[in-house]
Amino acid sequence: MLDINALISPDNKNTSALSEQALTQVNNQIANQLNTGILVLDAEYNIVMWNRFLQVHTDKVANNIIGQSIFSAFPELPERWLSRKLDSVLQLNTPSFCSWQQRHHLFELPHTRPITTDSEFMAQNCTFLPIETDGVVKNICILIEDVTDVCHYQTQLQKTLDELANISRIDGLTQVYNRRHWQESLEQEYAKAQRHDKKLSLIMLDLDYFKLLNDNYGHQCGDMVLIEVSALISSLLRVEDIFGRYGGEEFAIILPETALKGAMELAQRICSSIAAKVLTYKDHDIKVTVSLGVAQLSAEESNYEALITQSDSALYQAKGQGRNQVCCADLSANMIID
Amino acid sequence: MNEFHLTEDQQDCLQELINIAMGQASDQLARYLNTFVYLKVPSIESVDAKDLMQTLSQQKNTMAVVSQGFFGYEGIRGEALLVYQEEDSGRIADLLGYEPDELSQDEQLIDISSILTTTFLNVFARQIDNQMSYNAPKLLPNVKDNLSEHLQQMPFSWDLALKVNINYQVTDYSFNCNMVLLIPETAIINIKNVLDRILAEF
Repeated sequence: MLDINALISPDNKNTSALSEQALTQVNNQIANQLNTGILVLDAEYNIVMWNRFLQVHTDKVANNIIGQSIFSAFPELPERWLSRKLDSVLQLNTPSFCSWQQRHHLFELPHTRPITTDSEFMAQNCTFLPIETDGVVKNICILIEDVTDVCHYQTQLQKTLDELANISRIDGLTQVYNRRHWQESLEQEYAKAQRHDKKLSLIMLDLDYFKLLNDNYGHQCGDMVLIEVSALISSLLRVEDIFGRYGGEEFAIILPETALKGAMELAQRICSSIAAKVLTYKDHDIKVTVSLGVAQLSAEESNYEALITQSDSALYQAKGQGRNQVCCADLSANMIID
Repeated sequence: MNEFHLTEDQQDCLQELINIAMGQASDQLARYLNTFVYLKVPSIESVDAKDLMQTLSQQKNTMAVVSQGFFGYEGIRGEALLVYQEEDSGRIADLLGYEPDELSQDEQLIDISSILTTTFLNVFARQIDNQMSYNAPKLLPNVKDNLSEHLQQMPFSWDLALKVNINYQVTDYSFNCNMVLLIPETAIINIKNVLDRILAEF
């Protein structure tokens, strides 16, 4: 990082092999050739100096800007916030910083990568340095570094990470949640329901005679059925319901804040919608049905796995009673759909 | 006891320097904040790497850590960590005199940390005839679970850490945070030399 104090400190002048005049020229040229914007203010926040980097990156004319308040020269600056920041530099005699991660930019400067980046302005890291003259802090030096590249790559990286996180939650074939994410969600919803004393229901469902379908028409047909059935079920759910592929042809739906009655109604709607749907595969009409087991969280379960076990055994009951129907974990409330 | 440990005299001398630095820093801070700032005498511990990890990972509710590198002459350099607890985070905007909607909570934390670190270290540096430069402060990501992981991944190996407990009370409320100064091996030797020089002068 540029240490402007080191460049202008009296110690360096005394030990320099250059005359004071030559040193001034060297410092001026360095300041003008730096790829960093330099803006020096007086204690009233009027601009007393700026370097070439800023001149070529703004449309402002050198003569007009010197002596102007920074806030009239750059009206885009957040005045109240920045004044407070500049106050701290003068009063505490300490540097202050502003990163693009908190504020993308302070000064509206164009950058040279207009196609690849999201913002039309240069992303900036700004440093505010107290400058002492004769032992008193009278000036503030603002350094403006172009970090558009860093910002761009960081944003790309974040997008990629988000995509990866999404992919790791989704079942590749059916595009519903995969088993791992679904189960994590159930764990969370279970904890939430316990903590806030809310209702929670679960539907487990399984395609009937799926192996037969695969044997007769091939696995591609089976895949098509899984995709179509998943899409159909998804269309029947609320946004807060969590639908996942539990295993091969088995699916599961978490229904937050839903009692058994509502869960049964939904299960029946899913059952009849799928039974009524005619799918086609290579000119064959294909009819599939599902069996469903429903359970509601009660005081008896001490973990979320118990809820899975309950709806799973209800599902097997539905299978045992002839398939294409809904069974509920509470035996007294058993309902059968023809 | 190894060459990085401070002798009792060195420890006292350092404690004294830090007390004075903290006192002056809080005085400056009070003027800047335009309010009465009451500072408890900071408690200082020097801990080695292993113990620090243990202390910090035991700390409950650590919400945020802001890290800022510092470097001065004579090889005196290191990294300052400002460690905040959950309950102290909400009032920082008030403390700094910002309107809550002017800046994000992240930015508030970074701002107050930078002010605390630089005012303190500037005064400290002046006492030992030094001058500090600083890196831009950074908020460490996802610190909740892996502060010790961050400490292990520091770009330099550090052998001594000074843990300074800061407690500021500002009129209506108190504000707590821990400042941890991580100091690499060569810098410790240099600090010890400076302390010896100061001790010899008295």
